[in-house]
Amino acid sequence: MPIADRLTARKAIIERVRGLGRKVVAVLPFHYPRALLRAYRLHPIEVWGPPNVPRDKGSQHFQAYTCDIVLKATSFLLRGGMDPVDAILVPHTCDALQGMASVTADFLKPRQPVLTLYLPRGCRDSDRAFLIAELRRLAGCCAEISGHKPNEADWAEAFAAEEAADRALASLYQRRPRLALSDRDFYTAVRSREFLTAEDFGELAASLPEGDPPADGVGLMLSGIVAEPLELFDRINEMGAHVVADDLACGYRRVYPPAAESDPFARIAAQLLACPPDPTRGSPIEQRVAALRSRMRESGAQGLLIYDVKFCEPELFDIPLLRKHLAAAGLPVLHVEFEMGMTVSRQVLTRIEAFVETLQ
Amino acid sequence: MSKPEVVAIGTDAGSTTCKLVAVGQGGEVLGSRLEATQPHIELQVGELLGQLRSELGVDGPVPCVATGYGRKLVKDATRSVTEITCHARGVFRDLGHGGTLVDIGGQDSKVIRLGNNGKPVDFMMNDKCAAGTGRFLEYTSARLGVPIDELGRRALSTDREEPITSTCTVFAESEIISLLARGVALEAILRGLHRALVGRIVAMVHNVGLTPPLMLSGGVAHNEAVRALIEEATGERVLLPREPQLMGAYGAALLGTEGKSAA
Ligand code: SF4
Repeated sequence: MPIADRLTARKAIIERVRGLGRKVVAVLPFHYPRALLRAYRLHPIEVWGPPNVPRDKGSQHFQAYTCDIVLKATSFLLRGGMDPVDAILVPHTCDALQGMASVTADFLKPRQPVLTLYLPRGCRDSDRAFLIAELRRLAGCCAEISGHKPNEADWAEAFAAEEAADRALASLYQRRPRLALSDRDFYTAVRSREFLTAEDFGELAASLPEGDPPADGVGLMLSGIVAEPLELFDRINEMGAHVVADDLACGYRRVYPPAAESDPFARIAAQLLACPPDPTRGSPIEQRVAALRSRMRESGAQGLLIYDVKFCEPELFDIPLLRKHLAAAGLPVLHVEFEMGMTVSRQVLTRIEAFVETLQ
Repeated sequence: MSKPEVVAIGTDAGSTTCKLVAVGQGGEVLGSRLEATQPHIELQVGELLGQLRSELGVDGPVPCVATGYGRKLVKDATRSVTEITCHARGVFRDLGHGGTLVDIGGQDSKVIRLGNNGKPVDFMMNDKCAAGTGRFLEYTSARLGVPIDELGRRALSTDREEPITSTCTVFAESEIISLLARGVALEAILRGLHRALVGRIVAMVHNVGLTPPLMLSGGVAHNEAVRALIEEATGERVLLPREPQLMGAYGAALLGTEGKSAA
């Protein structure tokens, strides 16, 4: 059975977590403190577009060069898609999302409170201190929404659950070569972390069958914010290629390592700052190149497919240097930009197919 | 003397023209077809294939590799391969070396860096915007009433050049109209239009990285002004294969001779 058919629908999850005494927060991409939300009795449901929503209503509020994630998420909000949630959290991943947070809070004024989280652009002590302060500020807002202030036991329970789910995600990636799952099913499972509870995600991850992976041919590593629509994976497979690793914001970039700090805010900050390098966190290009090179080597990826949402500034800024450094290392790179929708454009597919042919 | 045996056929169903090439054991061209693309590509290619097969006396099955934007619609194809790989393979076979290949087709243009083994190392495509493709010249030809195969010669017939500032085909058209209304010579406008098209192509060349020699394929390779202005902008002589427009189909046919492992 395809993994998608095994997943509980978001609506049902919202009802279920409400039954557990939690409120629901719509969360925009992509780094945010899950354990903190849980400790404050909030459940995140992430919003990455969605791809099937028209841009129209969002386009009325932003410049023409705004990415589809922001346009579509705004359309989704204005079309009532976020009506069932109790709050909206917009992390400051990029200027586009920061703009969305201001426009939403100041002009669109939804019924729900709009929370922000300013993420630092580095990993220095000052960045850590800033992030801890931000997390404390966010915690104050969460307390207002849920009316709950966590005690030590709440924090312990939240860390235990969310860190177990983080480990389950990390283990999915480790077991990838042995999982008898198509690329589409693998990424459906990875991305179910965007809305499932930590427990449900852990259960799903543990249940995935091992065996002969169905894929062979050219191994690709995929980089970018999000690989949408999932049809992309089917098309890549048809070309005689498969995805052996990723550097996706909706994927491997959120494999958070455990941390041991006793203060909950310091612990979350340490985890958020220790995840794999990515351009939205201002990771130096050398770090990104080194990480990409070593993961490509380990996974046997023959080429890097950078699949960028059109107008995604943080990703695009890095492209010239990434191409230069990876070419110098003899690693083939293809950069394509896509507009988010329910199908992949013929032009994008032709580029990917030609890239695969060069690697065959 | 018996007819040479057809070993493979390549089809290139492009947006403007539909091309077929049949090759023999040594990769030599035994026959070809080229005609304007019709709305039902699938039927058209089937018909052209039938003609070519009967002309060359092909009775049994031969590998048929399809390329071009309509490649997935070719029912008789044993395999489909992108234009990038096919043009690279065809031009490499014809000219015998790596370098930088510019292919300007009716609906897209591509710059392909070819390794010394003829395989594409890197490439860039423009298929989102008509400026920088053959469509730009088709528009111009229709608007100015100059036959398409005379555009290049007329553009080179003058030293005067009227810069076209619009980067968009549609806006360039209105710019042309206002230039004509101001009495600017047609040839000077044509030269400016060719310069605009070449500017886009050369920017792509520099993006991919110019590795000499510079080679040109696709229907627009026949346009002498495009060739001359590319040479002027890059300082490199432009080499043409024997049949620039057939290179995609030729490369597809060559891949057919090599079996599945060749692509
Ligand atoms: S796609 Fe890029 S620009 Fe858009 S919200 Fe994500 S990070 Fe920001």
